Amino acid sequence: MSDISPNMWEKLPQDEAVAVKSAPSLTYWQDARRRLWANKPAVVSIGFIILLILGAIFGPFFSPYSYSDQNLKLANIPPAFDTYAVTDGEGNTTRFFLNASNFNLYEVDASGHVLGIMRGERKDMLKKQQPFEIAGQAITLDYAKLPARILSADGTELRTSGWSWNMTYLFGTDQLGRDVLVRQLFGARISLTVAFVATLVNFFIGIFYGGIAGYMGGKTDAIMMRIVEIISTVPLTLYVVLLMVVFDSGLLSIIIAIGSVFWVDMARIVRGQILSLKQQDYVAAARTMGASTPRILTRHLLPNAIGPIIITLTMLIPSAIFIESFMSFIGLGVTPPLASWGTLTSEAVETLRAYPHQLFFPAAAISLTMFAFNFLGDGLRDALDPRFRK
Amino acid sequence: MSAPVLSVRDLKTSFFSQRGEVQAVRGVSFDVHPGEILGIVGESGSGKSITCMSILRLLKSTGRIMGGSANFDGQDLMALDQGDLRDIRGNKIGMIFQDPMTSLNPTLSVGEQVMETILRHRKATRAEARARAIELFELVRIPSAAERLKSYPHEFSGGMRQRVMIAIALACDPKLLIADEPTTALDVTIQRQILLLLKDLQKRLGMAVILITHDLGVIAEVTDRIVVMYGGLVMETGPVHDLFATPKHPYTQGLLASVPDLRDDTHRRLTPIPGSPPDMAHPPEGCPFTARCPHAMQQCQAALPPVFGEGQGARCWLHHPDAPKVAGVNEVAA
Amino acid sequence: MPTYILQRLGMMLLTLWAIVTLTFFLMHAVPGGPFVSEKMLAPEIQAALNAKYGLDQPIWAQYITYLKGILTLDLGPSFKYPGVSVNKMIADGLPVTMRTGLLAVIAVVALGVPLGIIAALNRNKWPDTTVMLIATIGVAIPSYVIATVMLYVFALRLGWVPTFGLDNWRGYILPVFALSGFWVSFVARLTRSSLLETFEQDYMTTARAKGLRPGQVLFKHGLRNSLVPVVTVLGPVVANLITGSFVIEQIFALPGIGRQFVLSITNRDYTAIMGITIFYAAALMVMILIVDLLYAVLDPRIKLSEASA
Repeated sequence: MSDISPNMWEKLPQDEAVAVKSAPSLTYWQDARRRLWANKPAVVSIGFIILLILGAIFGPFFSPYSYSDQNLKLANIPPAFDTYAVTDGEGNTTRFFLNASNFNLYEVDASGHVLGIMRGERKDMLKKQQPFEIAGQAITLDYAKLPARILSADGTELRTSGWSWNMTYLFGTDQLGRDVLVRQLFGARISLTVAFVATLVNFFIGIFYGGIAGYMGGKTDAIMMRIVEIISTVPLTLYVVLLMVVFDSGLLSIIIAIGSVFWVDMARIVRGQILSLKQQDYVAAARTMGASTPRILTRHLLPNAIGPIIITLTMLIPSAIFIESFMSFIGLGVTPPLASWGTLTSEAVETLRAYPHQLFFPAAAISLTMFAFNFLGDGLRDALDPRFRK
Repeated sequence: MSAPVLSVRDLKTSFFSQRGEVQAVRGVSFDVHPGEILGIVGESGSGKSITCMSILRLLKSTGRIMGGSANFDGQDLMALDQGDLRDIRGNKIGMIFQDPMTSLNPTLSVGEQVMETILRHRKATRAEARARAIELFELVRIPSAAERLKSYPHEFSGGMRQRVMIAIALACDPKLLIADEPTTALDVTIQRQILLLLKDLQKRLGMAVILITHDLGVIAEVTDRIVVMYGGLVMETGPVHDLFATPKHPYTQGLLASVPDLRDDTHRRLTPIPGSPPDMAHPPEGCPFTARCPHAMQQCQAALPPVFGEGQGARCWLHHPDAPKVAGVNEVAA
Repeated sequence: MPTYILQRLGMMLLTLWAIVTLTFFLMHAVPGGPFVSEKMLAPEIQAALNAKYGLDQPIWAQYITYLKGILTLDLGPSFKYPGVSVNKMIADGLPVTMRTGLLAVIAVVALGVPLGIIAALNRNKWPDTTVMLIATIGVAIPSYVIATVMLYVFALRLGWVPTFGLDNWRGYILPVFALSGFWVSFVARLTRSSLLETFEQDYMTTARAKGLRPGQVLFKHGLRNSLVPVVTVLGPVVANLITGSFVIEQIFALPGIGRQFVLSITNRDYTAIMGITIFYAAALMVMILIVDLLYAVLDPRIKLSEASA
């Protein structure tokens, strides 16, 4: 212990000693952002949502088809198919594929573009066969036994020569021969519009209602909250259904119906936040300094209540998407030929037995979107809720 | 002195969060002797509560004991398996917590919460446990004990709830009672009642008590010996009289200078300790008090001082034999 | 307690009246009468029909008649099916809806709560991750998508269960699963987060400090407290199971009230829409009352003597 050099006993300069090394302190928003970026599913979700929005806005412009263009000759074409190749005497190859559910043959080129439906000769109803002449050869479509087969001239079964993506209709076509991809993008447009606008409407009603109730307090608050209580005892989906029956289907009606019904949660949260914040000293300070009521509301109360509000908002969007698709699914949503994810799903359900693949795209689109908003909501809650800050 | 009831050696506890390791307790050693009240004082964040939670290994999920031992009854509590440890908790060692408002289960009657401890550790029928619970309620002076067994915590005041907590802790006649800031959350008038009750019960039942507090008045009134903690370390230990009369560590001196003393009629100024406790996520290499110490030296920043002195020990370089003399610390004013 | 229940019943009646009124006037605000869509009707027949259903009277008189009917639990005749009362439509559909709904509620409690407990106890380990992944899928994917995909896979492709009908127990599997999927996931997530929050409570430390065994700590101290929020959502759960049944009954072609409701909407059968809405609302309010009473049993801090918000 005696090997401590004497200069070590010198006093530390006072100001240097007081300079404490400590971790950099973060503001609330910096900390929240850091937490959000650290949450991988939430970040992926943000990316997905941005892509979806861009796709919904700009996607349809890049498509050669419109959402309502019908081509009944090319209905129910899958996004990928097994191709057959038949070569004539001059070495020209004709490629085609069989739609196993409607027993039609479609000509395609080597890279997978759909050229058109192939005309066959009269069907033999008894033998359940239809002869075709393809590339100079007699080909027979035999659907006596399922799955249907293609027979070559000598009666042997023709083998598929490979498979190809559908390059004309990337996602295939629906039962009216409309391009599924562009309808998907259009559906995203409708569903997201309904969700965002309805959420915004709910947001304003909720902020307004909850803000007034919370700020006024006392009798006003009691009566307003009693009304909210009554509203919340009724399943809101029922209200939306009733409103839709009254308004008749349509884009505007569904926005109004959803927008006017789901503000109750928001109102409650805003009120709760405001009630608890009202007790706090800085509001009293602002009041003694003569700030007016609107100023206190917008400058002091709302910025502090914003965390829970953002979380509720993010959670409201997927419910709005869900309700819209739900309404469209039971036939109360947007009217054809407009498409939303709900109508697309319900159209796909109609053809579920024959063309199950048609269910895939709308189901995947809505599920992924719901996922994204849920993950984002969870991420925001973890990032913004002070209770999770340690 | 007889063999200690509890002997803690070099206890280390850390908490792990996204920001990394926070070393809350960095090597704490002390003894508790039979029949004494040991006070542990320190500012919030000094590691005093964590030390006590570590003794019974009651840390929340993010906490981990990193080393050290705690000998109780010939067993090292740190090495005991969970089952044996559970047989000690609530039985040989009772514990009282800071906030009686949240420490009792709101959905169970207080009687049930006392009785379940008895039923867990004693071979008793429910009727016997009930009788014992009434006895305990009378012991902690809860009026009309038999009727109040059926009440729920929310029907009690804070002081009464803390009495219930004490009853629970005493249910099995523990050898050692750990009281973690038992009066902090209570009204000032109630604080004294609870404190005197604790002191009285300790005398009557002859158990050892660890009393954790940041209130020096409480310490002076009821404890026999004191452990002063700062930055997850024991800064100074000693009998209460010596420590109050001649504090050896600058931190203890600062602490004493910052509380008013009613018996002191010299009208001296209260001097707060400047600065704030160190960030335990990045504990300083040297003495944790360096940054706030009026006598800080190069050596203080360079290395952690050992404990100097027997009986009343202080962890401060100024008590090194080579250290320069500083009036009031290692040089008694003439 | 009895005063509390009486008070609540009074509130319920008031709410119900508000709903009846709102529904009535909403339905009568629909442009055109209920028989407009049938172009075949001669004016005199339409007038006769209007007279038969009292539609020729002023709206307030119709309203009074309707209220009187409600008081005697009579929801009036169907506009679409002559001679069939709305009461009968509900009575016909009720057993099916009740059975699937009840099974779904049982599934929610019997699967959701244990899954949440397993996840919470194994926080951040593989059982937790697995449960949370499944629960996130369950929360995110709409019930009708789950229903149709399952219908395709299990009924059409694999043939394990019938595509429609409730002739045997297998018929119930898909509808109940599709109906409860979201809420099983929701309750599992809620139970998990509620338990994790409870674990951090001081009284849990007290329970451990008493030397109680892990089982005692979990079930006696932890679960009871964390179930309080779970019970609170059970009311809305029942409500949503009911509304969820619109689609599920439609997809699986179950002859329940939900299907009847959707059918009434397509048929613009206004008395049926009104009647079923009111029936739903009443059923829901009774459920919420039951849940509130249950809530008070779980948490003694809730005093039933006063009607608190």
